[in-house]
Amino acid sequence: MATTNVVTGGQYNYDIVRKFTIMTLVWGVVGMLVGVYIASELAYPFLNLDLPYITFGRLRPVHTGAVIFGFGGSALFATSYYIVQRTCQTRLFAGGLASFTFWGWQLIIVLAALGHVLGLSQGREYAEMAWPVDILIAVVWVSYAVVYIGTVMKRKEPHIYVANWFYLAFILATALLHIFNNLAVPFSATGSYSLFSGAQDAMTQWWYGHNAVGFFLTAAFLGMMYYFVPKQAGRPIYSYRLSIIHFWALIFLYMWAGTHHLHWTAIPDWTSTLAATFSIMLLLPSWGGMINGIMTLSGAWDKLRTDPIIRFMIVSLSFYGMSTFEGPMMSLKDVNALSHYTDWTVGHVHSGALGWVAMISFGALYHLIPRLWNTKIFSEKLINVHFWLATIGILLYIVPMWISGIMQGLMWRAFDDFGNLQYGFIETVIEMHPYYVFRALGGTVFLLGMVVMCYNMAVTIRSGNTRAVA
Amino acid sequence: MAQQSSNQTTGHVWDDDLKEYTNPLPRWWLWGFYLTIIFSVVYWLMYPAWPLGSSYTKGVPGVNSVKYVATTKDGQQVEKTTHWSTRAQLMADTNAAEGKQKEWFDKVAATSYDDIAKNPDLMQFVNAAGKTLFSDNCAACHQVGGAGHEAGNPQTNQSGFFAPNLADDYWQWGGTYEEISTTITGGRTGFMPAKGLAGSLTDEQITNVANYVLSLSGEPHNADAAKLGDEIFHNPGEGGCITCHGADGKGVPSMGGLNLTDKIWQWVDVSGQADEAGKVGVLHTAITGGFNHVEAMPKWGTRLKPEQIKLLTVYVHDTLGGGQ
Repeated sequence: MATTNVVTGGQYNYDIVRKFTIMTLVWGVVGMLVGVYIASELAYPFLNLDLPYITFGRLRPVHTGAVIFGFGGSALFATSYYIVQRTCQTRLFAGGLASFTFWGWQLIIVLAALGHVLGLSQGREYAEMAWPVDILIAVVWVSYAVVYIGTVMKRKEPHIYVANWFYLAFILATALLHIFNNLAVPFSATGSYSLFSGAQDAMTQWWYGHNAVGFFLTAAFLGMMYYFVPKQAGRPIYSYRLSIIHFWALIFLYMWAGTHHLHWTAIPDWTSTLAATFSIMLLLPSWGGMINGIMTLSGAWDKLRTDPIIRFMIVSLSFYGMSTFEGPMMSLKDVNALSHYTDWTVGHVHSGALGWVAMISFGALYHLIPRLWNTKIFSEKLINVHFWLATIGILLYIVPMWISGIMQGLMWRAFDDFGNLQYGFIETVIEMHPYYVFRALGGTVFLLGMVVMCYNMAVTIRSGNTRAVA
Repeated sequence: MAQQSSNQTTGHVWDDDLKEYTNPLPRWWLWGFYLTIIFSVVYWLMYPAWPLGSSYTKGVPGVNSVKYVATTKDGQQVEKTTHWSTRAQLMADTNAAEGKQKEWFDKVAATSYDDIAKNPDLMQFVNAAGKTLFSDNCAACHQVGGAGHEAGNPQTNQSGFFAPNLADDYWQWGGTYEEISTTITGGRTGFMPAKGLAGSLTDEQITNVANYVLSLSGEPHNADAAKLGDEIFHNPGEGGCITCHGADGKGVPSMGGLNLTDKIWQWVDVSGQADEAGKVGVLHTAITGGFNHVEAMPKWGTRLKPEQIKLLTVYVHDTLGGGQ
């Protein structure tokens, strides 16, 4: 048994965790609201209102930026700063620098959104931000790495807890991906040309894009899972060995898989084959996290009935397992020939983003907030309401996208008996309309759950205090 | 998932109560992982997979190879077999679809327009192929079903985007098979010079012409002004409008001059104006500014094959609208 030092709350820097926690809620509402609006624009194009600033093309990166980097990013900053302190039994390294990561990160989200609305874009998915913002991101991210690694280095525990491995991998990989994908030659204050060209440029972009999913939206949230699931369940992690093996397998295999986003395009065929097979080999390493999470919860199944936070966690792990199965299947050449460019991809992304990323974050935040403000949750019942709204919202979103996507793919490739393409493109668009309406509805229900959470947490936070207690 | 479950932990404790069991890797997980590796090796044997210097492994010869027919530069058809490749796969798929289409396109090419229209089997093909060709190439401007897009109100449609209705009986550039084919092949650019053919009309003259144009279709107008406008309209040295719109105002299809007598206002929003002053006003603006139509209909001769254009011609003439 390692010695358990008695460390009072006052010894930890919770202020930075609280700030990021509040911004997680704020960006969650903003990002999901924009998402609902653009989903509605696709169903009812008049919502563009003939304003270039709010067309789908400009608001879409505002949505992805606000939910991935605003909501997801803030949740990761908050939880990683909390976890690294508690599992290392030490106060956060370089408090001033940590504060800088907060203000810098928020500024980045705002600047990026403003730029997108004004039509500034590098045309790189999830990396649309203009070069000055990219530089700011790099500076903030390196500061984050310094704070995090500095804290791990001055830990009072002999071993580094598994959650921290995942956060460390996420921090290092994101720095690497961000910097290399944004290597560019500026030609004005806001414009630049990529250092790469043609197929290499596309492959660099999707090396970044896919590993943003792999390290930002998967590895980092697994880190979150590895702390909050055993904490909330009050049970040890199922298998230490599994956590090591699936960690290294995941880290090694993910980096190869990005090119599966470019199947059936003008890239060498062998790159696409390698990407497909490494995606297939990723299946079990991805599932390692799910198994470890679910098996940790097993034995505490009775808590599913009484603890809505556990419910969020088990559903998030289920969606994680489902979308990490779906992903490798979609990366096979023949499946991809059907799914590529269709709504199936959009449904897949959202089963991961809403089902896994958002649900595990909700679970983590419900665990975290009463502890950060020394209080009790205002309403367990509202957590339950949120849980059902979120679950129904996700299903209303992804099921129509599956149907619409597969229908789209089948219509695009359908030939009649004469050898003619059976459908014009516009006919496929007309068929998609009802599914787009349902998707917007699903997003609305999910957003509603998010609003319920904000209300519940606002009342909770007001009833609490930030005095340092033991 | 019958796993041996130990209550043994690693002995490490973090944050008061975080511990880890020493359970082994689940067997099914490990075997699943091995299976995906075996699957990947098989996949590598079937497809181009690993880079080798400036080349790459091409899969086991003869396994998963693709046969296709390519056309050489001098028009020769050659059969080729290659290791699996995206491009060869596309060629093979294209060969299969075009093989089926060829029989029918050959018939279309060999049959006169009139005979195609009379042959129900051929028309079935025309309608099937024409629907997709039209919606993928023409509908962006002419809309689904060829309903067209009126220029309408210049305030709300500042680009003046305009595409003639192809589903009615009126043909701006002529509605015979030959004229429609010429239009598709070479494209069309609508144009009207500002202030008359010589660009010399005064403000007052333009008002008179506007009144005359309104009189042609029985819209409210000033009869005296229309009478003066009549002369300007027909005088080649003044308005010169007859060059394109014809002496009777019914339009000269070869010039793309619109019919001014049919109450169909496609470019100028006359029907949208409540009173005579408004109607004269929009026409006055139109005649003063002319039209220099930048959004011309593009040439399809360079993008579609001759037999596709022939098929589209029949589709537009017989299926969409009442051709002449």
